[in-house]
Amino acid sequence: MRGLRDKYCIVGVGETEYSRGSNRTTRAMAVEAVRSAILDAGLKASDVDGMMDYQSGDSTLANHVAPDLGIRLNFYMDVVGGGSSTEALIGLAMGAIEAGMCNTVAIYRSMNGYSEFRIGGTGARAAQPVRGLDLAQVPFGMRSAGQNFAPTFLRHMYEYGTTSEQVAHVKVAHSKHASQNPKAVLKERVSVQDVVGSRWIVKPLHLLDCCLETDNATCLIVTSAERARDCRQRPVSIMGVAGRVSKPRLDFHWAHGPITRVAGYYAKDLVFGQAGVGPDDVDVTGSYDAFTFTTMLQLEEYGFCKKGEGGQYVSSGVIELGGKRPNNTAGGHLCEGYTHGMSMVIENVRQLRGTVDDYCPRAAEGVHTYDYAPGRCRQVKDAEITMNLGWAMPPLGSALIMRR
Amino acid sequence: MPQPVQYRGMSLIVPDNDTEWKEFYAHARAHRLVVRKCAACGLLRYPPTHACPWCMALGWTWQAVSGRGTIYSYEIVHHAIQPGFKELTPYPVVLVELDEQRGTPTPDESLRIIANLLKPDLTPEAEEKVAIGKRVGVLFQDLADHMALPQFTLTDERPQGRVWRLP
Repeated sequence: MRGLRDKYCIVGVGETEYSRGSNRTTRAMAVEAVRSAILDAGLKASDVDGMMDYQSGDSTLANHVAPDLGIRLNFYMDVVGGGSSTEALIGLAMGAIEAGMCNTVAIYRSMNGYSEFRIGGTGARAAQPVRGLDLAQVPFGMRSAGQNFAPTFLRHMYEYGTTSEQVAHVKVAHSKHASQNPKAVLKERVSVQDVVGSRWIVKPLHLLDCCLETDNATCLIVTSAERARDCRQRPVSIMGVAGRVSKPRLDFHWAHGPITRVAGYYAKDLVFGQAGVGPDDVDVTGSYDAFTFTTMLQLEEYGFCKKGEGGQYVSSGVIELGGKRPNNTAGGHLCEGYTHGMSMVIENVRQLRGTVDDYCPRAAEGVHTYDYAPGRCRQVKDAEITMNLGWAMPPLGSALIMRR
Repeated sequence: MPQPVQYRGMSLIVPDNDTEWKEFYAHARAHRLVVRKCAACGLLRYPPTHACPWCMALGWTWQAVSGRGTIYSYEIVHHAIQPGFKELTPYPVVLVELDEQRGTPTPDESLRIIANLLKPDLTPEAEEKVAIGKRVGVLFQDLADHMALPQFTLTDERPQGRVWRLP
């Protein structure tokens, strides 16, 4: 597969605080996150001439965010979507720059995902009229993400013997990582027993199998490798990207089995092919944890273990800090906060820079203790290559491979 | 245009120009489960869509199916999102694989349909009776003069394959 390996970089990252009650607009949060990413990159407002964002009718569009910061745009695009959009938009930003439409693109996501427009489907979403394809599921009390995804995991348990205890280790690992993250909404470490002992939401999912609805805004800045050399931070190179790759019958994916197969099955050859590396070369993963089991399904589909062995993989210690290939080292959507995928790319950028914002006093200078006790360090030593596995739903996903 | 159907706090909207669902629900109201049959290749498809996903032909007819099938996967909702479902918890949602066209046109494909698993009196089936592999048949929940929801109920047929439920 032809790609643009190492021709583009992520040069700036930024975010607001992760909270459960921002008490401000998505416009204010987006402006702050974009500004923070521009400053992180060492750029000026006039250096940014492209902007992209994604939303579900729940956010502020680029034509308001850019002028707030004095940015005049040569290109912008507001995209409808949620999870799996981050990686897709990074690829589209590269394409826009490659086409000569602009030079440097800020990508943001801003959402009051807890206080205004809840992703879980409660509040305003629960009252929306049901029409079209929604008629195939919603009238049966199947509306939220958990309700939409649960039969996929249950079938995996049936086919492969995967257990609740195994995937609980995803929450355990991510809570361990969040305990080293000052930004995380949930910093307390939990046990397997805490997860499987929490109340049922939709069987086979417990409360602690589900991620955290959160208010926040996040931003990434993409530019060419040449321009990246003049930026403040060590550039992080994009090796490969796949955006919104789908299974057949995306309209009603239950029609096309095995339903335990997710979109990564189709995305992996695209993204690994561009990057010229394989799963064994990846030091850190960011596998989207809308739920504990989504992380597991993607890791096995991308070949980090054999299909069906995801339960063993995620419960083996591999995905924890100190393990061979830690996943979601900032705590992910289960613990840090829900960002529709942006925070996992931001974290991997920081991992590759060596400047993860943990509790190490000189973290910003890249000085870390590598002591993974609570309240200490979460930097992975000598991380060279990271991979993001973006999830929208079982039949739809994106992927991104970066290197330092 | 018919009024939206109010069901458990939801407005179900099937306007006159809904070329996918309007006739599907009219058949359901007559207690027939129908799917679309491609006029060119003859393959059945659900949900109702405008073109054939296998041969791209536009022509189709409605084809009645038996309404018999096997539970392929399921979930039990304990925490309802829609307010009108709170009184039903815990309620099962089942993914039913219909008997027609199983493993066709590829081994990975089948006619599968989402619904609730109900007792014959239309209340949710008890959680401990829900399992992958159990046999089910369609029954219809009348909602309005022009609309009924196809639902499923357990039958006394022998299970198909391994029977398994979440321990």
